[in-house]
Parts: sequence; C-alpha cells; structure tokens
Amino acid sequence: MLRQLLVADFLKIKRKGFWLLTFLGPLGVVALQMVNYGLRKDYLLQQSDNDWEYYLSNVHSFTPLALILGIAIFTSIIANIENETNAWKQLVSLPVSKMSVYLSKFTALASLLLVSSILLMVFTLLFGVFLDLGEEIPYVELFQYSFYPYFAALPILSLQLWIAIVSKNQGIPITTGVLGVVFAYSAYYLPDWMIWKWPSLMNAWGEPVVNALLGVGLGCVLYLVGMFDFVRRDVK
Amino acid sequence: MEYVIKTEGLTKKFGKETAVDRLDMKIRKGEIYGFLGPNGAGKSTTIRMLLGLMKPDSGMVRVFNKDLKKERIHILKRVGSLVENPSYYPHLTAYENLEALRKILRVSEARIHEVLEIVRLSDVAHKKVKGFSLGMKQRLGIAVSMLHQPELLILDEPTNGLDPSGIIEIRNLIQRLPEEYGMTILISSHLLSEIDQIATTVGVISKGKMIFQDSIHAMRKHSRQTIILKVNDGKRAEHILQGKGIYANYQDSMLLLSKLSDQKVAEIVRMLVQNGLAIYRVEEKQSSLEDIFLQMTREEA
Amino acid sequence: MRYILQSEWYKLRKSKIIFIIFTSPLVGLFLGLTTQLVNEMEGNEWYLSLFTMNVTYALLFLPLITGVLASIICRYEHQEGGWKQLLALPVTRGKVFVAKYVLLMFLVLFMQLLYFVAIYLVGWINGFTDPFPMDIVWKSILGGWVATFPLVALQLWMSILFKSFAAPFTVNVIFTLPTILAVNSEKFGPYYPWAQPFAMMNVGGNVGDVFFIPWEQLLTVVGGSFLLFFIGGYMYFQRKPV
Ligand SMILES: Nc1ncnc2c1ncn2[C@@H]1O[C@H](COP(=O)(O)OP(=O)(O)OP(=O)(O)O)[C@@H](O)[C@H]1O
Ligand SMILES: [Mg+2]
Repeated sequence: MLRQLLVADFLKIKRKGFWLLTFLGPLGVVALQMVNYGLRKDYLLQQSDNDWEYYLSNVHSFTPLALILGIAIFTSIIANIENETNAWKQLVSLPVSKMSVYLSKFTALASLLLVSSILLMVFTLLFGVFLDLGEEIPYVELFQYSFYPYFAALPILSLQLWIAIVSKNQGIPITTGVLGVVFAYSAYYLPDWMIWKWPSLMNAWGEPVVNALLGVGLGCVLYLVGMFDFVRRDVK
Repeated sequence: MEYVIKTEGLTKKFGKETAVDRLDMKIRKGEIYGFLGPNGAGKSTTIRMLLGLMKPDSGMVRVFNKDLKKERIHILKRVGSLVENPSYYPHLTAYENLEALRKILRVSEARIHEVLEIVRLSDVAHKKVKGFSLGMKQRLGIAVSMLHQPELLILDEPTNGLDPSGIIEIRNLIQRLPEEYGMTILISSHLLSEIDQIATTVGVISKGKMIFQDSIHAMRKHSRQTIILKVNDGKRAEHILQGKGIYANYQDSMLLLSKLSDQKVAEIVRMLVQNGLAIYRVEEKQSSLEDIFLQMTREEA
Repeated sequence: MRYILQSEWYKLRKSKIIFIIFTSPLVGLFLGLTTQLVNEMEGNEWYLSLFTMNVTYALLFLPLITGVLASIICRYEHQEGGWKQLLALPVTRGKVFVAKYVLLMFLVLFMQLLYFVAIYLVGWINGFTDPFPMDIVWKSILGGWVATFPLVALQLWMSILFKSFAAPFTVNVIFTLPTILAVNSEKFGPYYPWAQPFAMMNVGGNVGDVFFIPWEQLLTVVGGSFLLFFIGGYMYFQRKPV
C-alpha cells in the first residue's frame, strides 16, 4: 500500500519543481563557494594549513541554511498540492490508512533530501578536486559534512511537515522556516537542545555523530507525533 | 437601436484553440438575455471579456454605448457580476465580505443588510464564509453582484449548486429586477429549461460561435414540427414514400416525416391507402425548446 | 485610491498577519539576548548589541519575512477567485497594485518600529547604562526600511504571479542566501540589492551621511532595483489574466 502511495506522491510532485530544487539546493551551496574561491582563492588558502578541511567547512557554513529553507519549501509545496485542490478529502477516502498517507509524504521528502545530500557530496568533491586542494582527500569528513547535517535535520523535517500539513495558511510553515534559518544562523550561540542547531554539527562534546544520531531519534519521535495528530484530525 | 451590450467580432484564442470566435452579441435595455451553450462553449470566456478581466485578441465590446477599452471604470460602476464559481474571501464573514467591497463601491451600509435580506443570508451574516455550503456561497455571490444597484447584471450560471427552492427563488428575483429596478440582465446557463421561463432573448453559443440570437418567441417558431404516422406495415410504407422521393424515417414502429404542408400530408395518406396500407394514426409533434437547443448545438458540432 | 487602501486594510486586518509582524520583535529579543559576545570593544555598550542583532536580522530575517508578508497580502485574492471579483469592480489594476504595495510598506515600517522596541528592551534587560544612541538606531531602523523597497516590489510581483507561498519564497531564498557572502565582498556587496538592508542597518558604517551608505549607492542600487521590480510587477499585473 505504501508503495502505491509513494508512486502516486512522486507522480503528484511532477512538474512542481521538486527535482529541480533537489538539484539546485546542493548546487547552490557549492556554487557559492565557487564564487567565493573564484574571487579570493589566494586569501582563502592562506587562512588555514589544511585546505581541504577549510574548504569543507566553508561549504558546510551554508548547508544547514539551505537544508532548513529547502525543507520549509518542500513541505509547504507537498501539503499545498492537496490543499489547493481540496484533494485531502479525496485522498483520505481512498481505501488506504491515513497513517500511510502521512508516511508516504514523509518518505518522499526524506528521499529527495537524501538525493540532495548525495549530490552535495558529489559537487563538493568535484569542485574540491578542481581547486586542487591537495593529494589527500579527506573522504571521511566529506561524508560526514554531506550526510550528518541531513540526519541532524530530520526533526526539522518532521516538524515542518506536520505544521505544513495541518496549516490551511501556508504562511505559517514558511514563517516557521524563516525563524528556523535565523536560529540556524545563530547556531553558535544556541543551547544544544535546540534542533535548529543540530545541522551545524556543533555540540558540547565536539562529536558530530551525536547530532546525526539525535536527529534520527528525535526525527522519528516528532514524525510519530505529527502523524498521530494528522490521523486524529477531521479532513476538511 | 441602443444596446446595453454590443460586441463586434469578439475573438479570444488560447494558444491554437479559439475559445470565442467572432462573436456578435446584442443586448437591449430591460432584456433578460439567456446566454446558452454546452460546457466549454465559451460562455465564461465571453463574460470575462465583457468585464475586462481578459483582453480580447480582436473585436470590440461596447457597454452602455461606451467603449470598454477606454471607459472600463466608468462602465463597471454600473455593472454587477458573478463569474463562474462565486468569489469570496474565506477568512471573512458574509457581512465582512460585503463590507470590504462596499469600501470601494461607496454605497450605504444599509445596502449590505438589504442584499443579505434579498438572498436570505441575514441569519448567517456573521459566519465565516469558509463554513458556508455551496448554495450559500452562491447566494453571497449574487448579493455581491447587486450591492451597488447596478443597471446591468452579468450572472454566469448563478443557479449552480442551489437547491430547487433556491433556484425558484433566484429565478423569481431575477424576473423582478428589470421591472422594479430597470435592470438589464445577462444570464448564462447550459440548460435551456433553467431560463426559458424568464429569458426574453436567447443567444446560443457553440464552439465559440454565436449560432442563434433572437427573442425566445423566435426560438419557439424555429421549432420544427414532425408528423408521425402509425401504419400496419411501416417498412413497406417507408419504401413506398422513398420511391416517390419523400424522405421518411421508420423507427419504433412509427413513421416520422419532417414538417410538411397540409396538402402534402393529405397526398401522402392517400398514396399509402391506395397501396393497401392501414393507417391507424396521424399526429403532429412539436419538439420542445430543449430539443431545439440540442439540435442546434449538435448540428454545429 | 483611498477607498481601495481602506478595503485592502479591512481584508488584511482579519488575516493572521499580525502574528507574522510580531515575529520581528521576538527575533530581535532572541538575537539580542542569546548572541552575547564578550564586550571587548571600548565605547558605548549598545553598539555591540546592536551590531550582533542587526547582522542576522538584516541579512536573513528582514528580506525573507517581507516576502512572506507579500504572499499573505495576495493569498486571499488567489484563494477563491478574489482577483476576479476585485478587478470586476470599478478600479484600475494599477491602483490595486499600488495600494497593495503601499500597505505592505506600512507593515514593514511597523515591523521595524517593533524591532526598535525590541532593541530598547534588550538594553533594558541587560541593564545597559550608557546613553541610548538614538540617532544611530533611527538611522538603521529607517535605513533598513528604505532598503526593503525594491525587495518588497519584487516579492509582490512574485506573489501575484504564483498562487503558492512556496514559489515566491523560493525566489526570495535564492536571492537572499548569497547575501551572506556578498556582504564580505567590497566589490559586490554595494551593488547587490539584497545586501542593502544589511548595509543600511550595519552600525558603524559611514556615519556622516543620512544613512549608513552613500547617497549614490542608495539612489542607484536601491532606487534602480526598486524601479526595475516595481515597474516589472506593475506591468505584469496589467496583463495578468484572471
Ligand atoms: N485560461 C484558459 N486557458 C486555456 N484555455 C482556456 C482557458 N479558459 C478557457 N479555456 C478554454 O476555452 C474554452 C471555453 O471555455 P469557457 O470556460 O468559456 O466555457 P463555458 O462555456 O463557460 O463552459 P461551462 O459551461 O463549462 O462553464 C474551453 O475549451 C476551455 O478549455
Ligand atoms: Mg463557464
């Protein structure tokens, strides 16, 4: 049942710009560094002994912001597809459980964001090699910087999807996204428990993997909360 | 002759498809003009152009004898409209919806209560419109269109979604307007039966073209009578008549003949009797307006 | 024109826009109270606080939230045939566009004033004793407002063009994120319209002028992009089929 729903969801998001954004997000993040390094490569290379590490951290300074805004945009569009055509009532009157309807939307978005993360890794690597930052490519860090923010952002995905789906007014989830990006930009000052800090991979222990693991855990919890709330609600 | 609405060669294309094709529409003052056509004929597109919501690709629209292109604002001050599904602001109540428009139209506040009374929404005036039933929204749309006491009312399928008593109510209301307020009304529909009791003039549009435009009486005259013969052997009778060059159609054990003069009918009967056929009945059938309408639009297609 | 404005205000009042406006002082308070740097600078303690608050506020929050406001002001027109109804009234499309724009700019101004209050509250909570730098704060509040003129014009255009919230927001994000880099560049920063709120609110800029940026930059970059976006949106709205 979930598979059919997923197929349907991927059909519905056709021509809504999802694939374009999935591609554009990571490309944009790396493109910003292209401009950055293009303009002042010499200066940037002086900033650190480990050029690869420094480059990765530069790329990573935009990853959380792009992730959070991307999540806000994705969740809002996917909820709006049903809202604007009043299709919830039709979808929910199909012989499927409301839980799987919700799970399908979440899975579709989580997959797209995962594709984004893979693309981010590829683009980062390609441009890094192009910049000729040194023989030793730090694959472990590259992997961490590409995928940990994704896992750490899962609670935000759960939260935003929930808000987007239950809001008739899409101004609400978008505003939440704006606040999220303000938080993420201030990550350095935030207490560790704020989920918007997590994609920055900063924490008191200096262990990025903690954020990823916490993200998966709380992501599941918030997902369940949102799903049960959706199931409980009347369909308008 | 002075027309309230007059279009000449009105044309609108969407890509390759011509939605409205060289349409000439003429509506006189005080008329209730029924604008008829099947789904997708181009009624709503025409109405959008009459209101200046869409720009025609070619052709001209004159309303109150003024050029719509040049004096749109002036014209719209005297026009009330309801286009397709009723428009409304869901986050406002019925009263507030009217109030938001009143601020632009500058009519008295009392008028809001008046129109709400007319469409019988006074009881739910302070309920948010997103909680309205389809018919209630439709009534609100009609209330909106009458808010500024327009001289010309343009209603696109105004009885959509109304219950039978609502349809009768609105029909009675529309019928009263020309006499009581001197209004002219353009009302579109895809059902002739919906407006044949109130319309004074009809325009029939099919595939973007105006295929008939005249008084409702003229439309009735347009109706073709059919002569029906019931005989003992229809097949043979058909054969005999066709041998004489008279077109007849045998179906359901009846012989159908298109409209003929009385002499011709007498001749046919005589001929059949001479050939030894027994004639049980000779009838004349008047086709209904609905039949004519269907016939017209089918011929065009 | 006055009547259209009144009607616009009436419709807007009943939407939930007030909650969105009030995120501005909340963000101000959040930024002012959490992002405390150790005060190593000599001089007025308000400055550091203002500086750290204004960076995030002007770089990200202000450009993004003004887009949300623009979408809200068009939302109820898109929803249930509002454009169709509004434009069948005896109003010109031009006036409707201008009315919506004017109303938006008032809302942004109001938001800036609330942010001003937030700045004051931050100082009060932190127990600042130095004199309140009134002229500098005003300069950045009004400067930030002026810098949003072109941004709001573009967002109004996008919000009329697209029915959904997400599409104009995406456009906004695409232009806003690069600002973070642009303001680091002496070459590009001054010419990038989305960097102007930051430039105008960045205390410690050029104190001599009326605003923190030179007049030429204000007129060419802010003024020029405003004309471009405003006229673009205005022309688009004239031709928009409803
Ligand atoms: N915005 C548009 N873009 C493209 N085609 C359109 C548009 N609006 C209408 N059409 C086309 O123009 C033709 C006429 O449509 P219109 O809505 O005027 O029909 P109608 O007579 O009002 O039908 P109905 O009885 O269903 O309301 C249709 O074929 C339709 O597909
Ligand atoms: Mg129609």
